Amino acid sequence: MGTYVVRRLLQFIPTTLGAIFLLHYLTSLGIQLTGNPARALFGDRRPSEAQLGALTEALGLADPCLTRTGDPCVGLYFDRLQKIFLQFDFGINFNRRPVTDIVADALPYTFKLVVIAIIFQAVVGITAGVLAGLRAGGFFDYFVKVSTVLLISVPVFVLGFVVRDIINVNVGNKLREAGTLPDWFTFGVMSPVYKPDYPIASLVVPGLVLGALSLATTARLTRTSILENVRSDYVRTARAKGLAPKRVIGVHTLRNSLIPVITYLGVDFGGLMGGAVVTEGIFGVPGIGREIFRATISKEPSVVLGIVTLLVLVFLIVNLIVDVLYAVLDPRIRYD
Amino acid sequence: MRRTARLKAVAAVAAVGMLAAACGGGGDSDSDSGSGGEAGGDLRIYSSEPAFLVPTAANDEPSILVLRQLYRGLVKYNADSGAPELDLAESIESDDNKLWTIKVKEGYTFSNGEDVNADAFLRAWNYAGNLKNAQNNSYFFNRFAGFDDMQSEDVKKDTTFSGLEKVDDYTFTVELADPFSGFEAILGYSGFFPVAQECLDDFEACNEAPIGNGPYKMQGEWEHNVQITLERNDDYAGEDTGKADTLTYKIFDDQNTAYAAFEGGELDVMYNVPPEQLGQIKQKQGDRIYQAPSDSFTYVGLPLYDKQFDNVDLRKAFSLAIDRQAIIDAIFSGAYTPATGFVSPNFDGYREDVCDACTYDLEQAKELYEQSGGYKGKLTLWANAGAGHDAWLQAVGDALKSAFGIDYELRVDLEFPEYLELADNEGFDGPFRLGWGPDYPVMETYLQPLYGSGASSNSSGYENPEFDAAIKEGDQAASLEEAIPSYQAAEDMLAEDLPVIPMWFGLTTAIWSDNVDEFKYNTISDVEYGQITLK
Repeated sequence: MGTYVVRRLLQFIPTTLGAIFLLHYLTSLGIQLTGNPARALFGDRRPSEAQLGALTEALGLADPCLTRTGDPCVGLYFDRLQKIFLQFDFGINFNRRPVTDIVADALPYTFKLVVIAIIFQAVVGITAGVLAGLRAGGFFDYFVKVSTVLLISVPVFVLGFVVRDIINVNVGNKLREAGTLPDWFTFGVMSPVYKPDYPIASLVVPGLVLGALSLATTARLTRTSILENVRSDYVRTARAKGLAPKRVIGVHTLRNSLIPVITYLGVDFGGLMGGAVVTEGIFGVPGIGREIFRATISKEPSVVLGIVTLLVLVFLIVNLIVDVLYAVLDPRIRYD
Repeated sequence: MRRTARLKAVAAVAAVGMLAAACGGGGDSDSDSGSGGEAGGDLRIYSSEPAFLVPTAANDEPSILVLRQLYRGLVKYNADSGAPELDLAESIESDDNKLWTIKVKEGYTFSNGEDVNADAFLRAWNYAGNLKNAQNNSYFFNRFAGFDDMQSEDVKKDTTFSGLEKVDDYTFTVELADPFSGFEAILGYSGFFPVAQECLDDFEACNEAPIGNGPYKMQGEWEHNVQITLERNDDYAGEDTGKADTLTYKIFDDQNTAYAAFEGGELDVMYNVPPEQLGQIKQKQGDRIYQAPSDSFTYVGLPLYDKQFDNVDLRKAFSLAIDRQAIIDAIFSGAYTPATGFVSPNFDGYREDVCDACTYDLEQAKELYEQSGGYKGKLTLWANAGAGHDAWLQAVGDALKSAFGIDYELRVDLEFPEYLELADNEGFDGPFRLGWGPDYPVMETYLQPLYGSGASSNSSGYENPEFDAAIKEGDQAASLEEAIPSYQAAEDMLAEDLPVIPMWFGLTTAIWSDNVDEFKYNTISDVEYGQITLK
């Protein structure tokens, strides 16, 4: 197991370097194709060449390769790598804030949001999947089928707006007026936007909206997997041994059925980190999704590079954890 | 100012809800500020993320709205008339409008205890003007003697303006390169606010936890993207002390989200509202709404360097064929004010209907078009990409097409930096969209920079020695009042020559919740958050 983990960790290095190069190349190409973003900061007020030069220099966009379309800017790439790995310096955004500060500020919000989403999707999704799988063809099975299809077919920007404007604003206002429920619920959970006074409570609804998207997949994956395993030999053996049905389902069947579900949740964790852009926007959560959206619009290469590199690392680490979990769940899988 | 406004527009367009917000509800809420009467309470304000909280660096609207409560300058603008009046200055005097002597009032301090004296201004201005510091507000010092030296590439970090001189602890002189009668008026801009020594010693720290001299001071640090909290500064020596105990600027990226927060009772004041919801907002807010023309000017520039556009009849014909109000109503739900001149309606010296060719008159348009000999070839209309200009520019194109039968194409694919570079290099081959916002409350700010020969933002290539002379005459007038007729004469020349087609001025909308007792707005320096009282 130890050597396996070390080998996987070593694989991180080329993956990360490659990802950074791609990001570097694409952001550089963006600047080469659409012009110096520093010019846009002056807007309609035309700067002198010296002024533009000084700002371009201050923002770290002065490398002449950024004016040659198609140039991969290899020199700039190695400069960046050196700064990132030797000084842990990811550069600054256009307001001259270090990218490391921006990420450190924004990451906790997104992390909390994604954890809420994953917990919601794991608890509700797996429970619904198990119940549906055990009574395949029954009422509950169809209920799960229909409700998950409904959830899948509503895009997040619709779901988010509807929940925010109808539930949090309108229903929320009624509840706030009535004043019978506790404040943490009416002013926290029912707040239409993130509030620093209720750092967790006001993230619950955005978390549920975010998790709702993958909830359907989790439930159906669990259902299929349960259906398959319930008919397998070892379950029959367990039953034949006279084990209590609770133990047969809860320990033997579920444990094996969870392997694909865990894989999915792992991949989804990374996906949600990057995919929270829309949800964060709708509910005003100051996370990395909002930050990367803004950076993309105003073409701030260092911010895009810093955040996406971080997401790459999250993906890699979560997938490693998932792979290690396989061995825990299924004793037949060994990594030696 | 324009950068953020534009970014906001882009974000709004990208994130526009597929659904209009559901109806019902309203801005009512239980306030957790539990207070009453004249002063006190927590005023919760909608803001987008400021760029900087140091006056020398901040030139965007959200930053300035915070800075105006944290800092005070030599001059402020009258709450009713917008006229400049002395604030921290004891006197600002000059015999020739070129060499100005400024006396600073004693008794004001920064929140760290430093004295606000002549040095506080000199150090701020020298820092802002020096190219090596790459401060966004350096541009505003371009009238100071020595500006060119300060902006040359080989300037040293400690070089100072040759035109600034300290007389004693509370007196200094400013020498301008050329006389300018509006000098006092420009000093109310936040870029001219004083800065503490401690602030320049550690710029980053001062940006996170500003050291101001205004009616409010920073509480804690700037929580980026979340909120900025100011508390009343009890040591403030001025008369216009803050009303609310605290001002909380709640930061949002998206106006629609902020409006949902407002509806859910999380905000007390919202300055700028989502334009697509304006109709519904007006209905719901009743009398808790303030609307006024804003100073942001949108125009369609005409490339006078192109032979075909070097023809005043053609330019006027184009302008006369555009029904501005119809476009505003159809595309922007009435959220703009049609331009009938070149200067904002809020400005001293503004006159209605300066530009005869800016009204919709199809008959006259056709007549002039005949006279001009017509436009040959396909007309190209330019705008930058992804900023919501496509629809209205197409409406302009359609108007020209139906009036004169000209074939046109839209070029809306260039990103903003690229687009501006093309403007800088006079690369347009057809009418192009651009905008402008005032730098200071003197009408000259709408004239010289855009139409002066070789001026910094003259993208149409207009050159008229008489216009330049009229501006110069105004600059050299004994006072601002005496300058205005000259500036108006210059504006008349623009109406005659029409180097650009004025389209519209913005429309500012501010709304407030039930918690607010009295709302205060200043036509020059926007919402006066510090003077708003809560119930």
